[in-house]
Amino acid sequence: MILPKLFVSIFNNNNNYRACFSFTSLNYINRKINTTHFHHAKVAQYQKPDWNRAVSEAEKIVGYPTSFLSLRWLLSDEIANVALHLRKLVGSNHPLLKTAKGLLYNGKNNMQAWGLIVLLVSKAAGHAKNIPDLEQDKAAGVLHSQRALAEVTEMIRTSHLVHKGLVNLQETVEDSANMLFGNKIALLSGDYLLSNSCVELAGLRNQELVELMSSAVRDLAEAEFVGPRDKQNNPLPARPRAQHEYKQFNENGIEPLVVQEALGNAQAEWTLRNVLNAGSLLGKSCQGTLKLAGHPTELQEQGYLFGKHLALAWQACLDREPFLQGSSGPFSLVCGPVMFHLQHDPTLYEEILKGKDDVNDVDYDLIRKVVNEGPGLDKTQELQSQHSQSALDVLNQLPSSDARTALANIIAAIQDI
Amino acid sequence: MRCFLVAANNRGFTTVLTMACLGSARLCVRVQEKLCQLGHLSQITRNNSTCVRSKGFPAFITVNNSQKCQDNSRVSLPLNNSTVSSVSGCWHPCNRPETAATARNYATMRTQQPGPLPVYQVDPYRLLEDDLRDLYEDIRLQLRKNTFQKELYDVATYYFDGQGKAIRPMIAILMARAINYHMYKDKSDLLQSQRSVAMIAEMIHSASLIHDDVIDQSDFRRGKPSVNVLWSHKKVTMAGDFILAVASMMIARLKNDDVTLILSQVVTDLVQGEFMQLGSKETENERFAHYLTKTYRKTASLMANSVKSVALLSGADAELADLAFQYGRNLGLAFQLVDDLLDFVSSSAQTGKPTAADLKLGLATAPVLFACEKFPELNAMIMRRFQEPGDVEKAFEFVHKSNGLEQTQYLAKQHCQEAARIASIIAESAFQKALIVTTDLVLNRMK
Repeated sequence: MILPKLFVSIFNNNNNYRACFSFTSLNYINRKINTTHFHHAKVAQYQKPDWNRAVSEAEKIVGYPTSFLSLRWLLSDEIANVALHLRKLVGSNHPLLKTAKGLLYNGKNNMQAWGLIVLLVSKAAGHAKNIPDLEQDKAAGVLHSQRALAEVTEMIRTSHLVHKGLVNLQETVEDSANMLFGNKIALLSGDYLLSNSCVELAGLRNQELVELMSSAVRDLAEAEFVGPRDKQNNPLPARPRAQHEYKQFNENGIEPLVVQEALGNAQAEWTLRNVLNAGSLLGKSCQGTLKLAGHPTELQEQGYLFGKHLALAWQACLDREPFLQGSSGPFSLVCGPVMFHLQHDPTLYEEILKGKDDVNDVDYDLIRKVVNEGPGLDKTQELQSQHSQSALDVLNQLPSSDARTALANIIAAIQDI
Repeated sequence: MRCFLVAANNRGFTTVLTMACLGSARLCVRVQEKLCQLGHLSQITRNNSTCVRSKGFPAFITVNNSQKCQDNSRVSLPLNNSTVSSVSGCWHPCNRPETAATARNYATMRTQQPGPLPVYQVDPYRLLEDDLRDLYEDIRLQLRKNTFQKELYDVATYYFDGQGKAIRPMIAILMARAINYHMYKDKSDLLQSQRSVAMIAEMIHSASLIHDDVIDQSDFRRGKPSVNVLWSHKKVTMAGDFILAVASMMIARLKNDDVTLILSQVVTDLVQGEFMQLGSKETENERFAHYLTKTYRKTASLMANSVKSVALLSGADAELADLAFQYGRNLGLAFQLVDDLLDFVSSSAQTGKPTAADLKLGLATAPVLFACEKFPELNAMIMRRFQEPGDVEKAFEFVHKSNGLEQTQYLAKQHCQEAARIASIIAESAFQKALIVTTDLVLNRMK
């Protein structure tokens, strides 16, 4: 990815240039960082070895690093500009820096795996026979167009994260010059990634795919408007409603999701939020890559389900993490455990409401304690297993291959975390 | 075509100057300069006098002009309300045939042949009344179809209120109809796909406006609070992404690979133009080239590529498509040059945004770059982006003392003439005439 790598180049300008300027995977960079005297090394080592192994094995299978930084980007004026400007921001506390760090060091949630998964699905499913040799990357077993799509997926996701990292300035008085400048850079960097993904997508000359991926961008934008928000647009759960019938929302790819009905029902709301936020993009990318390979519509739809379920399983797993033993600090108020607990015991909502101006005003330790004693964690884990199983079910329809095994390993690694 | 109404009430005189001049741009500039120097040198005069030229553009778009003008005056400079409302709307040449008749005598743009449809009678907005009427409504419908969330819909449709000039959709539809006539005579009506391009052009433009508002922290646009004042930055940013995504889905539904590529390039150009605006060049020559490239990317690319797209959708060959492109490019460059000029001479009540806004943002536009020749001390100010106290005022003064405004107008005029020349190559029709008239509207607009 662009930003994380720039970030490395900013912070490690002595010894890590080599890593930044070569076509290496994020994990490779992480490993490099571990070997250098870098103050974030501890964070990287925190990853469970299983996860690392699953990803690095998988990277070998598609025969290509999963990072997509290409020279044409490095050499472009805009990126050189961003690098310079980012440097100016170092020392301020603009969240853009945190976003960049997050992209780099949050191993379990790293972007890289998204492109990787698209490539693995591509390889596991193979492609139709009538695709000319010229369009294939024989060594890796994927099409060039599929690789481009994987790149687009990452660009879209990064762009969204960067845009999410803006600061709502009206409320922030201190350090406003820096914040304003940071916002400018964040907005432009996100736009840059988004516009590049537009061009890259257009280059694939497949209008159905363009429409599908654009609808994923739309879903990401929609996600930021779901439910109540604090002043920095951090989400709060909707007030839990008494057991009401949960109607499965329609999902036929292009249409937007109906939001209102899901709010207040823990599972429906959680699913809606995370489909919009993540499942849609990964699902549609997997669907799109099968489209590029010339597979029938039914299989393409299975691709969507696989991506969606995998993203949801992933999210459920991340949601449980702050409640593991010995955890401290803040967490998302719309994470699975909290939402399921609210359904079980709506009185907790009073505490949640304290965060309606700023989510940091709630007593996280209290909520953690209450949630840990309730059914929230178990229900989240149950949900995670369901999604993992659904993803595996799709996977098992594909012929056995090393790529399929790698995907299964990744799903298993998520379960273990 | 042009009407000046100068009212300087505090000085006890009222001059109504009606000039119908299709081509006497230099005279206009001189008058503008005079007016502005008047306003600049004496604060009292500035506050109480105003110069308003015909609101030629929105005559058929704006529903309630006088209401809007009064709204404007409330939120900006203390303007004389009666003056403003008295000129609103009714000064358009088509509303005043006697003005239009004189316009013909003054016409100096003689690149087009006299024909059965005299240029001065064609009014693009009236010509496209039916095509443009529901355009904003249709855009809102598209956005509505793509979300069930009211707040997102509200932010996203904030600038699709029908108060804009709609110049991008207008030239796209004009070109579409002109090319359709060129190729098929009366056999081809406007294609649905061509109308979509007009909508897409306006949507891409709006998405970029919304993001610009976040970047520039502007307070007003089109005479109303800008979008970032009403909603939080994050939501506004996301709404911009949303509009772009919906536009992108509409592009895909055109099912034309080349058009998708062309319109995607526009989005990239816009972002790159915005990046270019962050930096400036050291030497004067470089700086002007930098400015022109930036202008192409930020403004002309969208116009050029949208008219090229409608031409391609009509089935035009590469040569004809390039012709359309060049028309849009020249018109777009002129449009932005005039925009940059108006930033120095127009009051905020007319443009809906504050005067010298560019300088305040640290941007050196054509008038400043031209003024550098006479006042080299501007160079240092440009390099520090007018950050030091007094810079903006000094630069503003230098520009008015130099002939930077005149030169900018001259450059804009050249591009307009080139656009008109290109349009005259297309087979003659009312729409082709309107394309030529549009070059004039762009050159002589006041907002």
